[in-house]
Amino acid sequence: MNFKHKYVFLFPGLFVLIGILIFPIIFVVRLSLSGWNSYNGLNFIGLENYVRLFTDDPRFWQSFLRLSFLSVTTVILQYVIGFALAHMVWKDIKFQRFFRVLFLIPMMTTPVIMTVIWRTFFHESLGPVNDILSNFGMSPKWLTDPVLAKFTVIIVEVWQWTPFMFLLLLAGLLSLPKEPFLAAAIDGASPVRKFLYVTFPLMAPISIGAIIIRLIEASKIMDTVYVLTSGGPGTATETSSFYIFIKGLREFQMGYAASMSFTYLIIMIISLTVIAKVLTKVLLKD
Amino acid sequence: MSKIDLNNISHSYNPNDPNPIYALNPFSMTWENGKRYAILGPSGCGKTTMLNIVSGLVRPSAGSILFDDKDVTDLKTESRNIAQVFQFPVIYNTMTVYENLAFPLKCRDFPKTKIDERVKSVADTLSLQSFLNSPARKLTADQKQLISLGRGLVREDVAAVLMDEPLTVIDPDLKFRLRRKLKEINEEFKTTLVYVTHDQNEAMTFADNIIVMSEGEVVQAGTPKELFERPNTTFVGYFIGSPAMNLFETEASSNDSVKINNTIIKTSTNLTNLKDKKIKLGIRSEFIKIAENQSENLLDVDVDKVEDLGNYKLLTAKMGSLTIKSKINRETEVPSSNVKLHIPAEKCCVYQDEKLV
Repeated sequence: MNFKHKYVFLFPGLFVLIGILIFPIIFVVRLSLSGWNSYNGLNFIGLENYVRLFTDDPRFWQSFLRLSFLSVTTVILQYVIGFALAHMVWKDIKFQRFFRVLFLIPMMTTPVIMTVIWRTFFHESLGPVNDILSNFGMSPKWLTDPVLAKFTVIIVEVWQWTPFMFLLLLAGLLSLPKEPFLAAAIDGASPVRKFLYVTFPLMAPISIGAIIIRLIEASKIMDTVYVLTSGGPGTATETSSFYIFIKGLREFQMGYAASMSFTYLIIMIISLTVIAKVLTKVLLKD
Repeated sequence: MSKIDLNNISHSYNPNDPNPIYALNPFSMTWENGKRYAILGPSGCGKTTMLNIVSGLVRPSAGSILFDDKDVTDLKTESRNIAQVFQFPVIYNTMTVYENLAFPLKCRDFPKTKIDERVKSVADTLSLQSFLNSPARKLTADQKQLISLGRGLVREDVAAVLMDEPLTVIDPDLKFRLRRKLKEINEEFKTTLVYVTHDQNEAMTFADNIIVMSEGEVVQAGTPKELFERPNTTFVGYFIGSPAMNLFETEASSNDSVKINNTIIKTSTNLTNLKDKKIKLGIRSEFIKIAENQSENLLDVDVDKVEDLGNYKLLTAKMGSLTIKSKINRETEVPSSNVKLHIPAEKCCVYQDEKLV
């Protein structure tokens, strides 16, 4: 069939795709090869930005390592806590519906606003956390100690996004077939064995999906850092996206920020592919 | 290996409703130690519910279950010491075949040497020896089902092995051999086997006793011969046997005979009390033969068609609006006209309100 008008029908979709996905990526690549300012316009400077990034900017690579640490730690914690909570409300327990909704509330709140509240919580002299802890003679520097500040970012991230993990894993648990559990009961498996040999293996594909989705999301961490610590103290909680934000939108080195964004994108694609492969190998044993 | 008593068991999935709908109507039954039972019935008749009640996956709404006279109604599946095999293979994906088979024993803390001995013996029975060390998930569907079956058989001390259509996914040749194997296992180890199926051939060839169910009711329990020759209800007559039992609506014409299309047919049932009542005459197509020298109980019929079904011929005959089916020898030549069919009186079953008189 030769349908001449098919392009007319394809156009709206293609237009949106090109407009919001293809064009920005191409533009970023072009931008990364230039120094962009109001005086010179989009002047082509070749690989200069990349040379600078790879030879003369340890701050970017440090922020990248920090990001890796933060996202991997938060996602692991989210997975463990999310799985535990999902497992808890999966079986028939009292107030099951109440708990299922309760555990989702953090996800429904606005991250920026919640982070402001957390910042107030953790305020060193005025916050309620230190108010309580001071009774025991402690007043940790939640936001100004380089090590503890990372810990605080992790707490807030885990609180905010564990519900998402919980939701995915609960949906997974509820979709599991019944027979393997019946068979395990008949074989006389203890609850621990049931979890190790039935629940966990059956959940492996869903777990991989959930972890990858959360890793992608967690790598984009920006608002929490921005509101909570602004990357501080010093650069102790500065992540890649926050550093790119500073270079691009604070110092207006758009070309350089673009080259970092593009490098970041490539590294993320490669590392997430590797992580997905490794997870599949470990969890599915394939 | 124990005797299993089901006392007034019934089950409803909405027991608190003022008019509960029963998935299983109240019934009592005893399963003797070391026998083979088949539960037979169409889909949705409560077979699986009955099985799950015995294994403890479902708690009956009323009644009690005794294993060797010990009440186990409130015991959980884990503590009942029962084995069950499901319709579709259930295996532990992360384990090897050996670990799969060993799992029920490991969970019960059997010594290693004993586990090894049992696993090897079961693997031998089910021809799984060559796969013992391969990961279970890499096997084909029927091999996986063998593993499920093996896990059911690996414990020697189980009260019974319950099987819920376990051979559905297995190809016919292996099915046949496995059924034989199961029979051998039963004879050798005196394991009580309970086998749920909707395939009457499977039930007939496998079991000493068949329990026929329909719509949550145990309709008849008996040996294959009893079910075949004296079905308790028209349902059993219809459900068991291929083709189904011939059933004719009729009325009693004397103390022991009925009238079918103005022909008097003698039966071996006393019909004195059934005069003027609606009754049905049932007879297996196996017992209807072309008359040779008999003088009574003959039906004049027109031959509709004769089908050669390999090991026998199926004669479909018409008599007015009645259809009569008869299984005859392959060698028998069917005359094209003037056919008389002989109905043996002693094989006739008379039904009133669908129940055997």
